[in-house]
Amino acid sequence: MGLTERINQTDQLSYYEGQIPVEYVYTYGLGLEKFFRAIKDDGKFLASRCLECGITYFPVRSFCERCLGKIEDTVAVPGTGKVYAFTVVHLNMDESPKKEPALVALIDVDGTDCRFLHYLTGVEAYEVRVGMKVKPILKAKKDRRGHIEDILGFQPA
Amino acid sequence: MAYQRVAIVGAGITKFVRRAHETGKELAAQAAKMALDSCGMTMKDIESVSLGTAPDAFDGVHMKGEYLSDGSGGWRKPYMRQFVGGGTGVFAPIHGWYHVASGMFDTCLVVCSEKMSSCHPHPQGAFKTIFDHTTEQALNPTLIWIFALEMNRYMSTYGITKEEIALVSVKNKKNAMDHPAAQLPMEITVEDVLNSETLAWPVNRLDISPASDGAAAIVLASEHTAKRITDKPVWIDGVGWNLDTAYWATRDLYYPRYVEKAARMAYEMAGITEPKREIEIAEPYDPFDYKELHHMEGLLLADRGKAVEMLLDGKTQRDGDRPMCPSGGALGVGNPIAATGLMKVIEIFLQLRGEAGKRQVPGNPRCGLAQAWGDLMQVGTVVVLRR
Repeated sequence: MGLTERINQTDQLSYYEGQIPVEYVYTYGLGLEKFFRAIKDDGKFLASRCLECGITYFPVRSFCERCLGKIEDTVAVPGTGKVYAFTVVHLNMDESPKKEPALVALIDVDGTDCRFLHYLTGVEAYEVRVGMKVKPILKAKKDRRGHIEDILGFQPA
Repeated sequence: MAYQRVAIVGAGITKFVRRAHETGKELAAQAAKMALDSCGMTMKDIESVSLGTAPDAFDGVHMKGEYLSDGSGGWRKPYMRQFVGGGTGVFAPIHGWYHVASGMFDTCLVVCSEKMSSCHPHPQGAFKTIFDHTTEQALNPTLIWIFALEMNRYMSTYGITKEEIALVSVKNKKNAMDHPAAQLPMEITVEDVLNSETLAWPVNRLDISPASDGAAAIVLASEHTAKRITDKPVWIDGVGWNLDTAYWATRDLYYPRYVEKAARMAYEMAGITEPKREIEIAEPYDPFDYKELHHMEGLLLADRGKAVEMLLDGKTQRDGDRPMCPSGGALGVGNPIAATGLMKVIEIFLQLRGEAGKRQVPGNPRCGLAQAWGDLMQVGTVVVLRR
């Protein structure tokens, strides 16, 4: 039985259709608002640093997870980094094959203590190596809307 | 039963608002840091963390316990989330009490955070699936329906009027004028309540607490630890919780038997035999105005059908003989579900310490109670506090 097999005969007595009628509007919050505004307006990447614990967070966080202290200042980072781990995705959510496999990586972000999930772009799967240096590629300014997809992906630097 | 005595030694609370810019985890971090700062502690002093937060569907984040863990101080700590619907805010401190009472830990940070505003058009949409999907959901029930049915049954059983019940809303919203975290502090009249929009008779808009974003936190410590931290510990001397049948329609809606059972459990633990005399101040859960009266009866603080007399006599006013919801309650301070219950615990903590500022009740109370209520209106959670 495929994982995506569906029950379609809901007109028969055994089944009953349902849904949760809710949509969500998520606020970025104090930290991520700064992060996405800087990408949208200036094409810059921001991190934030807890001076108490000496940890640099990327993307920006408004508090330190270790001491819960408030962090107000941000620091600019280049957004470059190294591939920490990667995977090659072959199937879509509905189990249909992808036209092109998608490359997904965790990026060790330079100048920070954090890793970041995004796509790899402009590179073939067989070329990707753990430890490979990468840089972020942004959409054109007019197309940016303060969203994670303003970053098209990371490509070899 | 052998266990360590547990004290509340610090507390923090954010402002309750309709739409916070902060994320749920940012709200949690603000309240948690305030609680730590209030007793001169840091995360290094915290041995365990307990998070209370209501349905994942509110925030639109599954595994909300995991999502909120960084804001709650869960980083590399023994951390657990618990959830009993609206009863969560008083269940979370009970859960934290267990951590310390058991002797496993000497300190526990208890955080309750809720961000309901992400849910559009309204969090009520998320509530739809708490009802049985085969027998009830297709009728499109909302929580307002079931409260309206319960309120109607309560009123008709004892001959209580909407005018009388509205006085609870008037009192609590006025009490909230003195609460710095309050979302809906206001001076209103019974007429204002009766003239507000009817949502589902007999429930009008001003009979109900608002949807809110907010967070609250407390620090718990074992007896020997607490005495090093503060000279004004407030002891959790009794805890209780109880769940009624899943078939809500078959319950005795006029009387919350499960609240009584939860209260009796807490009273027995605290050695309380005459709650009407010994519980000097209380924060019964008041998401709707009639619920304060309903819960006073379940908590055995009033005879059945007689809570309204205490209200009419002014006994439940802040300067009355038995102040109820001196904070302003869910009706006045706001109702970010899990955070509301903990706000109530914090109110009793501050009142017993004599630190409630303009809200301070007279008479130096020594013993008080906070209660919450939830799941599909079937769970009661109670803590008894003493100084």
